[in-house]
Amino acid sequence: MSEKLIFAIPSKGRLMEKSVELLKAAGLNLRKVGHERGYRGEIEGYDNIEISYMSASEISQFLKNGRVHLGITGEDLIRESMFNVDERVKLLKPLGFGHADVVIGVPSCWLDVRKMADLEQIALVFRKVHGRRMRVATKYMNLTRRYFADHGVTSYRIVESLGATEGTVAAGTAEMIVDITSTGTTIAANGLKVLEGGTILRSQANLIASRNAQWTPAVREAENELIEKLGA
Amino acid sequence: MTALTARRFERLERQAHNVLEIFSTLGYEHVAPPSLQPADVFLDVVGESLRGRTYVFTDADGEELCLRPDLTVPVCLLHLARHPAADVRARYSYNGSAFRFQPGGGDAVHPREFHQAGIENFGTADKEQAEADIVSHSIQSLRSCGLDDFKLHMGDLGLFRAVLASIAMPERWRQRLRQSFWRPDAFHTQLQQLASSPADAAKGLPEDLIEKIDPDDLEGTEQLVDRYLGEHDLEMIGTRTLREIANSLAAAAKDAQAEPLSADDAQTIQSYVGINGQARAVTARLRDLERQRNIDISEAVDRFQRRLDLLGDAGVDIGKSMFSAEFGRALEYYTGFVFEIESPLLGEGVPIVGGGRYDGLLREVGAPFDVPAVGAAIHTERLLDAVSMDAPEEDTP
Repeated sequence: MSEKLIFAIPSKGRLMEKSVELLKAAGLNLRKVGHERGYRGEIEGYDNIEISYMSASEISQFLKNGRVHLGITGEDLIRESMFNVDERVKLLKPLGFGHADVVIGVPSCWLDVRKMADLEQIALVFRKVHGRRMRVATKYMNLTRRYFADHGVTSYRIVESLGATEGTVAAGTAEMIVDITSTGTTIAANGLKVLEGGTILRSQANLIASRNAQWTPAVREAENELIEKLGA
Repeated sequence: MTALTARRFERLERQAHNVLEIFSTLGYEHVAPPSLQPADVFLDVVGESLRGRTYVFTDADGEELCLRPDLTVPVCLLHLARHPAADVRARYSYNGSAFRFQPGGGDAVHPREFHQAGIENFGTADKEQAEADIVSHSIQSLRSCGLDDFKLHMGDLGLFRAVLASIAMPERWRQRLRQSFWRPDAFHTQLQQLASSPADAAKGLPEDLIEKIDPDDLEGTEQLVDRYLGEHDLEMIGTRTLREIANSLAAAAKDAQAEPLSADDAQTIQSYVGINGQARAVTARLRDLERQRNIDISEAVDRFQRRLDLLGDAGVDIGKSMFSAEFGRALEYYTGFVFEIESPLLGEGVPIVGGGRYDGLLREVGAPFDVPAVGAAIHTERLLDAVSMDAPEEDTP
């Protein structure tokens, strides 16, 4: 690993725009290096920092493995993709954008289900009536498992859903969902409601440091400069 | 099989051979189900908590497979493949690898790839006899490998069910207590609620609707729910039916009107859950509980006592065996008797053998009805460790 600090920035979408804005506001101007569509960059005036553009979920993986020192990504991706989060990364600062709640959504027509505690009850009956477990569609398999286990819900089964999760209930491929929502409108538009006590995580974009990366004194110094600018 | 040295490999092989030989002498047929299992059937049965620790992957043809996290379900599937009607009694033994995810990649005590040697008994109607057999046969195999110092720990979900059945309360309350049983805090909260204000269970549900429901009129309830949904512009979506929702609301309406569980009955349940100790002494305490609390659990206690007698007859040292009412809470598919065998050399929480009764499992993987089933699995690496510690001159590197 070089003596440069490697800082991972989301490569597309609103997360990228907001990240660039945030850095600019702190007086840090990003510049692409080489090809205009390339994935490497730098910050003007900081030759000890290398910018690496990648997808938000890759950033989470790279922070875990220590292949980047710092990164900006959603807390939801961090908590979903690793056990022992605190041993592997350090969440330095919530950044005030990329807000998304990871919530449990059930059909609004389930008048008999309002809170977490109602869930296991109906899950057991469902299993008896239908001869199989209730299905939960989600891409957050680990967050879901942990949260359900903590609340004593066991008679269910996860079906992995990588897109259009809110539609799975109406389509009949799942009985309920765990998904992100920022305003709740998509959930409601799909005939679903959020369970009371069913917010698994209130997530937003964070500035995150890897504990597994190689922190040489020079890299540490670059980090300090950056953090001072960002007020983390 | 994983072993760091040739010597350990050989010792594990020899031990496995010993164990299987004993099982074979005792009348078990040796089977070897595949390590790769169809994910779908398997995962629907084992539950999401074990699934979270199961290695699942998709093959080149798009088929979802898993590395088996235990051998009991594969042996059940093998039995059903041979006897789809599940009408044949069978006794199987096995020895093979099982795989479970461990945070951080696992360690010597909790490896992600380990061996299980075990036995299963399907279809034996005399349950106590089958249970005593499984325990004593497990012990015989431990002894044959040179392990003489160990402790048997037992639990019995049948006793808990009998205690609940002996107390007058709605069946759905029993179900709630059974389902929270494996989480002590939730169980306590549930019991408190039933004993103080069962109506709380319906808290947060639409009051104006609950008030109108006559719990004994299911058709009327269904109509009320249907109308309520229409009035509130709520569409029926998903696979849960109007009837299921109505039934569940009727139960909530019933709770809203129900008298709480008496303090006396709640105390009876608490007293039972608190029972633990040397197994014979527990029999006496169960008889006391029955007398003092004026409940009838005699059939379940008779079964408990008979099981102990059979174990004693088979040469198991009952004097050293422990029972606790709370034991076996966290094991999802067990339905009755459960047990573990630990070695003082490995310490608590690292059982060498675990097993019990799981009468619902064969049905869940496709049998047309519940089949009496009881089994046990030996964690063979741990067994070898315990034996090695016991005989240091044969120390493994």
